[in-house]
Amino acid sequence: MLKVENLDKTFRTGAGDVHAVRDVSFEAKDGELVAIIGASGSGKSTLLSLLGLLDAPDKGSIDLDGIELANLDSPGRTQFRSRQVGFVFQQFNLIPNLSARENVKLALEFAHWPKNDRDARAHEMLNLVGLDASKADRRPAKLSGGEQQRVAIARAFAAQPQLILADEPTGSLDKATGQKIVELLRKVANTQKATVLVVTHDEKIAKKADRRLEIDDGILKEIT
Amino acid sequence: MNAVRRGIRNAFRNSMRTVGVVVILAVAIALSISMLIARDAVTNKINTVKASTGTTVSVSPKGFFGFNGGGTPLSMTTIDALLNLPNVTAVQESFSEELSSSKTSLTSPTPAGQLGSQFGNGGGFGASGSTTFVIPVRVIGTNSPGNAVVGGANGGGTEKLTSGVAFSPTSTADVAIVGSTLAAKNNLKVGSTFTAWNTKITVVGIFNAGSTFTDASVLMPLATVQKLADAPNEVTSATVIVNTIGNVSSVDTAVTKALGSSADVTSTQATTEAALSPLNSVKTISTYTLIGSVIGAAIILLLSMLMIVRERRREVGVLKALGAPNRSINSQFIAESTTFTILGAIVGFVVGIAISSPITSALVSASGGSTSSNTGGFVRRAGGFAPGGSGFSPPTGAFANRGSGAFHFGGFSNTITQIHTSAGWSTLFFALIAAVVIAALGSTVAAATIVRIRPAEVLRSE
Repeated sequence: MLKVENLDKTFRTGAGDVHAVRDVSFEAKDGELVAIIGASGSGKSTLLSLLGLLDAPDKGSIDLDGIELANLDSPGRTQFRSRQVGFVFQQFNLIPNLSARENVKLALEFAHWPKNDRDARAHEMLNLVGLDASKADRRPAKLSGGEQQRVAIARAFAAQPQLILADEPTGSLDKATGQKIVELLRKVANTQKATVLVVTHDEKIAKKADRRLEIDDGILKEIT
Repeated sequence: MNAVRRGIRNAFRNSMRTVGVVVILAVAIALSISMLIARDAVTNKINTVKASTGTTVSVSPKGFFGFNGGGTPLSMTTIDALLNLPNVTAVQESFSEELSSSKTSLTSPTPAGQLGSQFGNGGGFGASGSTTFVIPVRVIGTNSPGNAVVGGANGGGTEKLTSGVAFSPTSTADVAIVGSTLAAKNNLKVGSTFTAWNTKITVVGIFNAGSTFTDASVLMPLATVQKLADAPNEVTSATVIVNTIGNVSSVDTAVTKALGSSADVTSTQATTEAALSPLNSVKTISTYTLIGSVIGAAIILLLSMLMIVRERRREVGVLKALGAPNRSINSQFIAESTTFTILGAIVGFVVGIAISSPITSALVSASGGSTSSNTGGFVRRAGGFAPGGSGFSPPTGAFANRGSGAFHFGGFSNTITQIHTSAGWSTLFFALIAAVVIAALGSTVAAATIVRIRPAEVLRSE
């Protein structure tokens, strides 16, 4: 269960302060798929960075299954991220000189999974996302965009994190593939009982989520 | 796949870049290796030459030149005091006399010849004397039997007993060790006797030093000769033994200061240093070039790694987002730079070893060519001896100038430039250390850059 309270983040720039996230509070249950929609510059990527512990909030709290994350130091954030947070990016961000299987195993390595189990787990995850076994040893450049995003999802879920953060996961895909990817996210989230937050521009994608939140000028509100 | 394996694999990610970086590194490492080998070879040569010159300082009365110069014998008390100087381990003293037929029953085996007649009668070169000159018999009183004839003053060479025994350094007995040719000429054997200063002397040994002049001499206890020659407490030459080659120069200075104007103090150190100056120049050049090429290689690697880190900023951000600790990412980049360095080192070692010999020769030739004329000794010319290009070598092959300044460097400068280069294990070990230093220096800044990359910023720029 993810519980966010009064989250605030301001960036100081030459042009003045940018209040990217303002007093954000919300909750998300295990296995729930939550869509966050908003225009460019509305603060949705900053919110995702804060929730993914890539950045520290100025104030507020992030509670994941009873553990307060907002006050963790840098090594603590890194460790927590490796085990409890998975990322899916718009540009897939797979490591280009590693195969699909090795990309998935990378997340397992950082999460300190037992070495002997990594191969089997990577195989299992690639199966789960529907990637043909014959493609497991291909490098990203030899895979289609949809296949790369499947690998990215397999990587994000591999270490069984509690929280998955997907930043425009369908942004680089055609509509049909995008729909499949969102369905895949929902399926894996249900299988692993993980909370999935999807940032998207696409209303159709957002409508597939269990809940929808809208962020505007750093202020988050629920769309009913 | 751990960080190190990922780093090694990343080194081959872009083949063109890999080849480029490795080739540039190989050139720098080859230069480093060749300079290291050149430096080692030159250092070895310098040490060999220095070692061959010995660790001695020679003392003789001012103006003394065998029996062709003047001067007043030195006081034994003064010479004994040299033992108290720092780094002096021993002082060998001798008192020499030349005995004419009126003072000894011995006959010199050496024919006077043209030179003997010339110098013995005091005429000019080529002049004929009015009387027949007979070479006197040289008697050397020494407190260091076994090392008494080393150097020019006492004839050169190292006496080796062919029969009998040596006398004690502190002996006062009327005994002698006789040179082999002198013994043969006078039918002397161990136990035979001869007279000198109207005293019966017993032969206790026969020696051979491999020098016609020396083997026509007699060695006797220093105290005995001083007593018979009525020259108590007098010394005509001394050899100060220094503990290490590096201290010869300071001991030379200290002895000169202690004896003042009463003595000529000579060591081979200054002459050796002058002769070795081209090699020292090569050593300096190779040292600076070595340092420069190591720094150059490190800069090449550093810039390459900076470029690579910059290029993979997003990837580093992704790795951090996935939970990779900085340690793991640093290890990955260090492994990558080490792989470049090892590949460059392999190629560089082979090339460096191959080119080290010609480079060393070229450096030595270039450096020696301008200075070799300064190391000339003396050449024999009609009418006497004059400074020239190639000269005498000491009788025993040692570059000795210990006795009376009779020998000078000359032709040996030709052998100085004959340098053998080889890559020993120690050289390769130091080269490996240098390669590790290159890798460490090259990846340090890159690693520092990685630590500063914030994944949020990298991913936000998507």
